[in-house]
Amino acid sequence: MKTISRRQFLGITTKMTAATAFAGTFAPSATSFFGLGGIAHAATKKITPFTFAILTDAHLYDIKDHKFDAFLEKGVADINSMNPLPDFVLYAGDIGQSGKDSELKKGKAILDKLKVKYRVIPGEHDWYLDMGKSWKGHFGNETWSFDHKGVHFIGMNSILVPDFWTMAGLTPEERMGRMEELECHNCGLWGVGSAQLEWLAKDVKNISRDTPVVILTHSPLWNYYPRWNFQTVDAPEIREILRKFEKVIAIHGHVHQVVYNQIGNISSAGLLSTSWPWPYPPVELPYPHLKMNRVDPGNFEDGLGSHAVNLAADFMGTLNYREFAHLLPENVRRGLKL
Amino acid sequence: MNGKTFGIKAGVIASSVVLALLAATAQAKEPRTPVQAEDEWNALMAAVKKGDDLWHNGKLGTNGLACGNCHPDGSASNPHTWPKFQTNLGKVGTLREMINWCIAVPMQGKPLPLDSDDMIAMEAYATYTHRGVAIAPAKDEQHGAVPVVSGPGYPTAGGH
Ligand code: HEC
Ligand SMILES: [Fe+2]
Ligand SMILES: [Fe+2]
Repeated sequence: MKTISRRQFLGITTKMTAATAFAGTFAPSATSFFGLGGIAHAATKKITPFTFAILTDAHLYDIKDHKFDAFLEKGVADINSMNPLPDFVLYAGDIGQSGKDSELKKGKAILDKLKVKYRVIPGEHDWYLDMGKSWKGHFGNETWSFDHKGVHFIGMNSILVPDFWTMAGLTPEERMGRMEELECHNCGLWGVGSAQLEWLAKDVKNISRDTPVVILTHSPLWNYYPRWNFQTVDAPEIREILRKFEKVIAIHGHVHQVVYNQIGNISSAGLLSTSWPWPYPPVELPYPHLKMNRVDPGNFEDGLGSHAVNLAADFMGTLNYREFAHLLPENVRRGLKL
Repeated sequence: MNGKTFGIKAGVIASSVVLALLAATAQAKEPRTPVQAEDEWNALMAAVKKGDDLWHNGKLGTNGLACGNCHPDGSASNPHTWPKFQTNLGKVGTLREMINWCIAVPMQGKPLPLDSDDMIAMEAYATYTHRGVAIAPAKDEQHGAVPVVSGPGYPTAGGH
């Protein structure tokens, strides 16, 4: 495997996807079995097993020596301590709290301490002060894909809401302030929008159906709790575009909690933040045995953590929550089967 | 006697209690008019609104955090379970004491006087977001407020 520099890695675009289009033979059906999280499918095309790590939702404030700085540092140190190191790190959005350039800059400086390359998508907290201008300056394109050891990785910006600010005459600060509230009463539902849907359709057009796919978005690609934007409004269209694949692993930030779902060929998992955990919304969980325990408000590290995902040769994935404290029930601690 | 009486200052409360007692012995109390009822409801809603603002604007803390960061829609404040023994308080305490604990510890702020208007507003917001939830002393649960599936800007999203 040729190694790539961080710069090359960050510059990878859809062009590379053609490389996987010719490999692999057609097999009629994937084997499947009951995993911890329900039905986790294997894929027929064999990949070179590898591990990648994930961090998300640092919510850094423009305040010196804020406790959340230390938690992101801790996540970075944890990943740097992995032996062997993961192949790369994905970051699932909400680096900053109020979209300020100073917050994003601070976040980038901490993430740059990672010993391996990393790739980032935006969250709503990164975006709505200047509509992504600073974020793009620091992290590049918000929509991307690349191939790694036989797996096709996709990252998308899922936090785009229809304009609620122009008519209301809101300043950028007011717009950001509204979006900062999880339960914002008039921000509306967000999604990826038609341009990214088109991009996605093109991106996967020439990729064979037996290619393993991992997709990273800030919000879940299923309808969990719209009130808190625990949803992506065009998730049904995304799932339709990805339906041809034998198996897709979807990973999302934003929920600050352990949550799992499985819809058709897509298994989906939520992540721990490095800032604060969120309570479960008042709806039934699709896999109620896969959740974290109640948090001790006196332990600021409770419910926080980093993550490692191991992908086996048959694309069976295991998501390990690397919690900072000791909160996870035994079944979740063993890892979620993706 | 209506609940509003208790919203005013101590001296006034004392005299109005006396007046109310006199009135009760002298004659049957007039039924509450719809206009009065609406005024009282609006007064409560004003307190809820104030509580909503305090819950979200971060002014109670010093590190930028607001209650809403960790308790969206008032969730996991579980007002229907108080008073109860709470480990961090180390005793059987009240919702208001726990609100103060969260101001002081995760938000590094200054606790509110327990009987202040701001504290009453915080409590009003917490209980209003849990309206209709059954009182359940010390119940071990993390309640997620009253589910909101639709509202301005929040139509029920497309199916699974
Ligand atoms: C950094 C996160 C954080 C902030 C900010 C925060 N809290 Fe908490 N609080 C928690 C956590 C975590 C719990 C425990 C939740 C549980 O028991 O499931 C908690 C518990 C509580 C409880 C007790 C719930 C129970 O049943 O034991 C109350 C009441 C409460 N918080 C109110 C508030 C209020 C009011 C504010 C704002 C002044 C606030 N909190 C700010 C994290 C926070
Ligand atoms: Fe977040
Ligand atoms: Fe978010």
